Amino acid sequence: MLSYIIKRSLYMIPTLILISMLVFTLIELPPGDYFESYVAQLLASGETVDPQKIEFLRREYGFDLPPYQRYFKWVIGMVQGDFGYSFEYQLPVREVVGDRLWFTIFITFCTIIFTWLIAFPIGIYSATHQYSWGDYGLTFVGLLGLATPNFLLALVMMYFAKEYFGTSIGGLYDPEFIDQPMSWAKAMSILEHLWIPVIVIGTSGTAGMIRRVRANLLDELRKPYVTTARAKGMPEFRALIKYPFRMSLNFFIADIGSILPSVISGAEIVAIVLSLQTTGPLLISALQSQDMYLAGSFLMMLAFLTVIGVLISDIALAILDPRIRLAGGVSR
Amino acid sequence: MVIRKLTMALVIALSFSLFFDFQIVRQSQAGEAPDFAQMVANGKLPPLEERLPENPLVVDFDAEGKTIGKYGGELRMLMGRAKDIGQITVYEYARLIGYDINIELVPDILESVDSVDDKEFTFKIRKGHRWSDGHLLTTEDFRYYWEDVIKDPELGRQGVPSAMLVEGEEPVFEIIDDLTFKYSWTKPNKSFLQALAGPSPVWIYLPAHYVKQFHAKYADPEKLAAMVKEANVDSWAALHTRKTRQRRPENPDMPTLQPWQNTTPPPAERFVFVRNPFFHRVDSEGNQLPYIDKLHVDIVSKDVIAAKTGSGESNLQARYIRFDNFTFLKESEEKHGFITNLWTTGKGSEYALYPNLNTKDPVWRGLMRDANFRRALSLAIDRDEINEVIYFGLASPSANTVLPQSPLFREEYREAWSYFDPDKANELLDAAGLGARDDDGVRLLPNGERAELTIESAGESTEETDVLELVAAQWKAIGIKAFVRASQRDIFRRRAAAGETPISVFFGLNNGVAAPTMSPEELAPVSPAQLQWPSWGEYYETGGKAGEPPDMPEAVELLDLFKEWKTSADVEEQTVVWHKMLDIFTDQAFSIGIVNNTRQPVVTSSNLRNVPEEGIYSWEPTSYFGIYRPDTFWFEE
Repeated sequence: MLSYIIKRSLYMIPTLILISMLVFTLIELPPGDYFESYVAQLLASGETVDPQKIEFLRREYGFDLPPYQRYFKWVIGMVQGDFGYSFEYQLPVREVVGDRLWFTIFITFCTIIFTWLIAFPIGIYSATHQYSWGDYGLTFVGLLGLATPNFLLALVMMYFAKEYFGTSIGGLYDPEFIDQPMSWAKAMSILEHLWIPVIVIGTSGTAGMIRRVRANLLDELRKPYVTTARAKGMPEFRALIKYPFRMSLNFFIADIGSILPSVISGAEIVAIVLSLQTTGPLLISALQSQDMYLAGSFLMMLAFLTVIGVLISDIALAILDPRIRLAGGVSR
Repeated sequence: MVIRKLTMALVIALSFSLFFDFQIVRQSQAGEAPDFAQMVANGKLPPLEERLPENPLVVDFDAEGKTIGKYGGELRMLMGRAKDIGQITVYEYARLIGYDINIELVPDILESVDSVDDKEFTFKIRKGHRWSDGHLLTTEDFRYYWEDVIKDPELGRQGVPSAMLVEGEEPVFEIIDDLTFKYSWTKPNKSFLQALAGPSPVWIYLPAHYVKQFHAKYADPEKLAAMVKEANVDSWAALHTRKTRQRRPENPDMPTLQPWQNTTPPPAERFVFVRNPFFHRVDSEGNQLPYIDKLHVDIVSKDVIAAKTGSGESNLQARYIRFDNFTFLKESEEKHGFITNLWTTGKGSEYALYPNLNTKDPVWRGLMRDANFRRALSLAIDRDEINEVIYFGLASPSANTVLPQSPLFREEYREAWSYFDPDKANELLDAAGLGARDDDGVRLLPNGERAELTIESAGESTEETDVLELVAAQWKAIGIKAFVRASQRDIFRRRAAAGETPISVFFGLNNGVAAPTMSPEELAPVSPAQLQWPSWGEYYETGGKAGEPPDMPEAVELLDLFKEWKTSADVEEQTVVWHKMLDIFTDQAFSIGIVNNTRQPVVTSSNLRNVPEEGIYSWEPTSYFGIYRPDTFWFEE
């Protein structure tokens, strides 16, 4: 087991190097650079631009160097914990991301719990009462959540929250708590705002989750061991939870790998519409303005978390399901 | 008779003495903010007389139609990006010399500005004028900028600002005494004062006493090295640049001359600006400005700004609000206690079409260079329809030219090819060699292809898309099939500059309220950012190193006139040049204006005073709220 973990960890290194090259190339691909979009932005607001100053800035930030040199500068800095400099914010990337990371993790965590709380009972009910009215009805509601555009739902809910509960529009708390230390009142204000993104992001995830729980559970329920358990007089609920449900969770553990990156990227579009102080809008605006170190370091962080997430889910699967073998390819 | 004279004299003397008494009483009442008075009482702050310059700038409240205010309150504003705190410096608008409410240049921070033939500029600082930390403002602060920043081998690498160069010549900087200094050139520099008065001015001064700690020449090497390390930058020069930004007041420790000073280091969601206790302006009763205690600038996603403003979360908002938000804002006014006024946008045209005379496609280039083709495109646009459909009829149809508020306005410029006359347009197109049409009624180009024209846009707003849709429909009637291609700002610019765009759409002239003393650079091919002649502009800007020289007589003439303006002796000459340029620019339809005088909703809290109901909302020359002096705004309880 230990050697498996070490081997898997070592595999991560070349994977990450490849990803870093890919990310850098992707960011370099669109024509122009940050300064070009900066100039365009100044012109759009009517400002004039001193061309020699832009030229100076370009040199100052090393944009006259060939791409490979810039790549190495970026990668070496990252290894040392320096994620580069955001041109847009004129600050080190680490400071820009700062608090937003914690808010994002918090929101996503709440959303995931919300999704599970809704999806598991419904999924189990649908599987055990297949093709009943309840199955159809609940699945319909879940699919409705999937089909409604998130941003629209966000706008509508924001409007009603303002109109009926007096919740301030957008953000994670009322404006008077900005830059205030955490307090009871601030925590309440956060809760007051939190339910909107949680429901909006959550509804889109529940439908998928319901279907997967239902399908996996249905597979298991038809297996002979369930029939045997029933024949032996095991109580219905126990016969459901003890084995079939556990077996149907494999997909769910394998899913952890993809949950981790979404924890820090959040749901970007919803976050923009709701003006949440999360990292998603940051990533999008960085990509738009070609703020390359901010965008690049961010994507690298996502890649790193994905790789870690996949590792964790592989290990967890191996532990939880004894049928899974560690060494593959031998029987071939 | 004698007695009468005597009584007269007595009366006059009496009234004078009364007047003086009155003045003295007023003086002693001359106010300051209560919290400052408290600090003075506690000895934490020098008394008001020592904080104000000997000769403060007295804002003429009567002339500007303002009322004397009360101190206090917090002004909340919403901004869409962290770097928008640079916008606050635009609103604050304390400049060495600035535009007043009549768009005339008057000394602001400086006591006086004297120029000899626009070659020698003598500036005088107000005696006793202090930075926000209480240090005196002196010529040293200007010397530091010129000698230790611009002339420094490290810091000066970004070169002399172009406003301080006349055909490559640098000024001679001289200090006359502690308060007087001089810049001189051998040739006139017409745009120097304008550059100092701009919304984003050339900052030719720095608080030397503060910034010297970041300069290798003055600082203790060990301390400086430690600071460079702490800030995680490459060199002291980078540290200096970062710590001394003035447009974006990111360093809360840096003293300022603006009415409010930022106290929040980025990154933050809310930037708090507090009143500068040494601000140099007073109201007409001698009370120190600004009235408002604090500015709160909240950074939120720009897409929710209109909605947040509509729920009363901003006290003063125009940025990120568009005309199509107007009805929504009006509706929520009463419930949330604010007023929505409509200011005039200061642009020459809300949107203008720019036929690219440097486009690569030879057929289209030929057509775009044909004045009659451009005129036909302009005549085919039914501006009244666009005005009614999109602007509720509140705008005015016009060519891309100055607004009626400008002293240079003439009816003929506005009317130039901007009336609706499809018959004439058809005639002109027939004459331009586009007589043949196919079965769909689309004209055929000289090479036999259909006249299908792609209008490229930066995709900034849905309003623009709506306008273009109408234009495309109207052009269809004269046999030109137009498509709209929205891309992204910098890609749009890049394509236009490379000549890949036959025609593009963008805002019209930035300064629609231009005066003869302001530079007519927008009318001549001088910058690669100009969408109708990017490569001619590049040729001028790079001094012939890149781009192509203009080869159309009218464009050459505009360029010559622009050079003439720069060397002209007085305002009369400048006026003549401006009119010649406007005449050519509009008659040639080098850009096709649609409507101007469009409206910008300005939301103010109903208890916020001294914000005019009507104004010109533009970058230059009004600096948005700048010339309306936010330091005089106040809250009534």
